[in-house]
Amino acid sequence: MLTAEQNAELTRVGPGTPMGELLRRYWYPVAFTRQLEEFPVKRVRLLGENWAVYRTPDGSYGVVEEHCPHRRASLAYGVVEAEGLRCGYHGWLFGRDGTCLDQPAELDKTTFKDRVRARAGRAEELGGMVWVYVGPEPAPLLPRYDVYVMDGVRDFGHALLPCNWLQIMENAVDPHHVEWLHGRYFEFLGNRMGFEAPKSFQRRHVKVAFDEFDHGIIKRRLLEGHSEDDDDWAIGHPMVFPYCMRVGGAGIEQMQIRVPVDDTTTWFVLYTVHAPDGAPAPDQDVIPDYELPWRDEQGNHIVDYVEGQDIMAWVTQGPITDRTVEHLGKSDVGIAMLRKQFKQQLAAVAAGRDPIAVVRDPAANDRIDLPCEKNKFGAGADFALQWMNLGFTRYSPQLQDLLRLHTEAAEVRASA
Amino acid sequence: MPEAGVLPDDPHPLPPPTATFARDAERHLLDAPRHCPQCGAPIAGPGGLVVEYWAAEDRVFYCWCRSCDWTGTVIQVDRHIGHEASD
Repeated sequence: MLTAEQNAELTRVGPGTPMGELLRRYWYPVAFTRQLEEFPVKRVRLLGENWAVYRTPDGSYGVVEEHCPHRRASLAYGVVEAEGLRCGYHGWLFGRDGTCLDQPAELDKTTFKDRVRARAGRAEELGGMVWVYVGPEPAPLLPRYDVYVMDGVRDFGHALLPCNWLQIMENAVDPHHVEWLHGRYFEFLGNRMGFEAPKSFQRRHVKVAFDEFDHGIIKRRLLEGHSEDDDDWAIGHPMVFPYCMRVGGAGIEQMQIRVPVDDTTTWFVLYTVHAPDGAPAPDQDVIPDYELPWRDEQGNHIVDYVEGQDIMAWVTQGPITDRTVEHLGKSDVGIAMLRKQFKQQLAAVAAGRDPIAVVRDPAANDRIDLPCEKNKFGAGADFALQWMNLGFTRYSPQLQDLLRLHTEAAEVRASA
Repeated sequence: MPEAGVLPDDPHPLPPPTATFARDAERHLLDAPRHCPQCGAPIAGPGGLVVEYWAAEDRVFYCWCRSCDWTGTVIQVDRHIGHEASD
């Protein structure tokens, strides 16, 4: 339970807010590479502000505040030039750093263009997505987390959700929900709707633990019938500060990305790489991205798949969870730790220091490996098929190819 | 922050009195620790964090102090119960 004041401090992400200042110290994915290749400029919203992200002919990327400093028309309807983005309204041209390079209707010798500039951030491509940084200089490096740079078959499911990002992040340090939301509730639905829910999600939690580390909080669970040598306890997996969770198992590696679009909207991306041992990764010319259906035509949540259940739990808390009337138990201590970590990083930024998970050393950024279970829930190779068939991958246009990849890889390992 | 035991004049930080669990929110605002047990600095608002959770009959306040980085739990005690000697 929090006071309203503390809840507001933790959830408001717009410009000038304490959390907005902290969150602007990080890079965020805002589009798929495919989108900017198909059309080179796109309007995006991030941290309560609108931006125009664009791709120049040489394959470089830029991002500027959406509204032209001239007459405030949208630069998302501009012309992409080699030097940057030209406003479609009167042709003002802005370079990648926001410098005004041309004002066609003004006198050639005017210094006007030297006295006006667009707000600009930085933009780069990594792993099939376009990333932007809109915080203060000097900009940190775009973190090369393992999932974004490893070999494998990529698959992107995503959804735009009408809720604040923090209540989604609290799910990342909430191990108990698995045996209930994805276990007992899933089993209840299966009995009613005529399908078998995955047993691997139904194991009882005996003990949970949380450890802070340089990139967030590692979550561990000891399940009934397991020992502390099992991956779920010995390795665990992390909440990656401030907007991701790294999960996986059985040759599926994933970063769950929760981009804070504004106070009441989050872009949820399931950045997934399929890399089972025993199967060489096929070439992938195009990475499929697909929207996840999470509400039916009557407005009810679609809850017969794992991530649909999570989405229901997040969205039904309301646009911003009212934490003044929540009732936490000791099983929620991970959530208390998460909130503390956010408060510590707010203090760091206010004191002029870098918060955690900001990367500036190129030598440390070739590939940042994160801990993650290989044998998830003790289910072995079966976990991959369960997760794909009863999770979001069911909506992937390459589902059958992925099922075949994992099945053939398992056969190779079995025959070895 | 209100004085100890006194609700703020402005009711906006609290749910409406008729709201479900309004009493719990009111008790949190009144009872949450205001100062760090380690250094005494204010921990309400931007100065720290106080998260209340319940365990058995206890109201546990998980606290963090921005001034000294102390983290710990505070439990208000109405009755001290000692152990029972074995037979």
